[in-house]
This record gives sequence, structure tokens and C-alpha cells, in this order.
Amino acid sequence: MSENLEQSFVAQLQANQNIIHKICRLYTAGEDAHKDLFQEITIQLWKAYPKFRGDSKFSTWTYRVALNTAITLYRKTKRTISTVEYESHQHFVKDVDYNYEEEEQIKLMYKAVYQLNDIEKALVFMYLEDKDYQEIAETLGISEVNARVKMNRIKGKLKKILNP
Amino acid sequence: MKELDLLKKDWKKNADSFEQISEKEIYKMIHKKSSSTVKWILIISILEVIFWTVSNYFSSVDDMLIKIKHPEMIFFGDVLMYTNYAVVLFFIYSFYKRYKTISTVESTKLLMSNILKTRKTVQYYVWYNLGMIFITSIFSFFIGFVYNPEMEFVREKLDAKGFATLFTAGTFLVITIILLGVFWCFYRLLYGTLLRRLYVNYKELKKIDF
Repeated sequence: MSENLEQSFVAQLQANQNIIHKICRLYTAGEDAHKDLFQEITIQLWKAYPKFRGDSKFSTWTYRVALNTAITLYRKTKRTISTVEYESHQHFVKDVDYNYEEEEQIKLMYKAVYQLNDIEKALVFMYLEDKDYQEIAETLGISEVNARVKMNRIKGKLKKILNP
Repeated sequence: MKELDLLKKDWKKNADSFEQISEKEIYKMIHKKSSSTVKWILIISILEVIFWTVSNYFSSVDDMLIKIKHPEMIFFGDVLMYTNYAVVLFFIYSFYKRYKTISTVESTKLLMSNILKTRKTVQYYVWYNLGMIFITSIFSFFIGFVYNPEMEFVREKLDAKGFATLFTAGTFLVITIILLGVFWCFYRLLYGTLLRRLYVNYKELKKIDF
């Protein structure tokens, strides 16, 4: 592949890398696994890049390929633990106006989200990223109505985890 | 849901808190090799195809057919051989076509379904070869015992000791066990390790959309 293609890809990916980091954060535990998945997603994005026509935004395209990689193509290595302790992500919470009760709730929510399965995580992820139901449905390949129904069920499931 | 809104707020606040990866590191990454499930499925599929094609080749009856000089049997053997070539070519073609449909740009459900369909093509091919091996072994035992003049001597000797049936059954059993063992290993490796998570997720997606 040409040098130019490589250059434009690397520049765009560098600028959009937080999308991948966020997915890695949801689907992996620990730094090693995070890096592992990040690399696999990058490889898959690069492989699919010649087909990227630019009629959608690079970020939108990245969401799809990255999620597909995390859910379908990524092989969890032995290092990866399926249930994640929130503690490993504590460095993300840096609140200036420290609100103990709120922070406690956020902690519990992260813990609850990690207990969801891969597909449910994908829905929650896109919800947190403010994606509309049409995009969620298209990305996963389900109908919009069913995406809404599932999201409501997930909310119910999260509530149950929080208040058993 | 109040807690989910709270989580969203925190999620957004921390969206930029990741340690950034440099362009240089990204360059390095794209030149590394993927270790995705699809790649492993491809490797295993190729190994399977080679193994079963080779075993099928070894169980062919050509030599025996030439020796016995029996036109109907030679014709039958030829039909079996050409059918086999046609099937191998057709299989390689359909596997390639299916494999090409696997794309991360598709929706998750379509991607999963394409991977599973590609896998199924290989599975059909394996079944076909197992069937062929079975047919050719019966065929070769049959012509071996009935038509091959060299077998006359062996047959008599074995019969004299009453071993003929036992010997045949034993050989059959050993070959079957070996082949089934290999089949089982591939099967475990694929469905136990590589495809389990994919199946679970695919089922979950289908359940949402019933």
C-alpha cells in the first residue's frame, strides 16, 4: 500500500484514538489486554482502510470496525480477566468538586456495566457516546425498535445489579 | 435512569484522559500481524482441508483397480475420482467466496453470520470426505476380497484360522478411531476455543431481533 495512504491513515487514527481507548476500557481488564485489543483494532482498521471511501466520517467508520473487532474478532488472551474490578480504572475518576456519594454511585455503575455481556456492553457504549438508535441498530444489525427494547431491558438489568 | 446519566457524565468527562499513542507507535502496530479469530479459523480450515484431502487421496483404489482389470469397477472408480475433483474445486471456490464476504465494515450480526457460514462450508467438506473415505474403504475391501487374485491366498489362510472377519473388523475399527480422533480434535479446537464466544454473541443478537 502506498506511503500516502499509510500517512493519512495514521494521522486520522491518531486524532481519533480515544474511540478505540474507550472500547478497550469496556472490553478489557488491565493495561496489557487494553494494549492488545488496541493493536488488534488498529490492524483491522488498517486492513479495512482501502475500502473506506470517505462518504462517512472516519470516526463513524472507526466505531463500527472497532466494535466488530472487540466483539467478534478479538481473542481474549489468558491474561484477560472477564470480570473487571473497578479499582483498576480508578485513575479515570478525577473530580474537582469531590462528591463522595456521586462518586460511589459511579463506581458501582462501572462495576455493573462490566457484568453485562459483550452485546449489552456495545449498546451501553453507544448510548454513552450519544449515538441515536438508528445508528446503534445499523451497527449491530438489528432493528431500531428492538435496539430500544433491548436498551430498556439493559437499564432494568443494571438496576437489578445495583439493588439486588 | 439516574445512575446511567451520572455514568454518562463521568464517561464524557474522562473521554480524553487516556494516555495517547504516538503516530510512530501506530506505524509500528499496522505492520504487526493480526491474531484475530478469523485468522485462526482460516489457518485451521486450511489444515483441515489438507488433512482430509490427503486422507481421501490415500484411501483411493486406483492401484487395486488396475490389478483386477474389471471394466465396471474401473468405471465406478473413475466416476468416484472425477466427482471428487469436481467437489474439491467447487469447495475451494465457495470457501474463497465466503471468506471474501467477511468484512469488519458490515454490521456485527452480518459479520458473525458470514464467519459462521464460512466455517460451515469447511464443515460440509469434512463431512463429505468422511463419507468418501467410508465409501472407498467399503469399496476397496469389497474388491480386495472378491476380485483381487492375490487376496485368495490371504483369504484362505485367514479363513483357516477363522480370523477373516475379526481381521477386517479390527482394521476398520482402528482406522475409524484414528480418523474420528483427528476429527474430534479439530472440532474441539474450533468450537470449544475459537467459536464459543462468537456463538454466544451471535445467539444474543438473534435473541434481540428474534
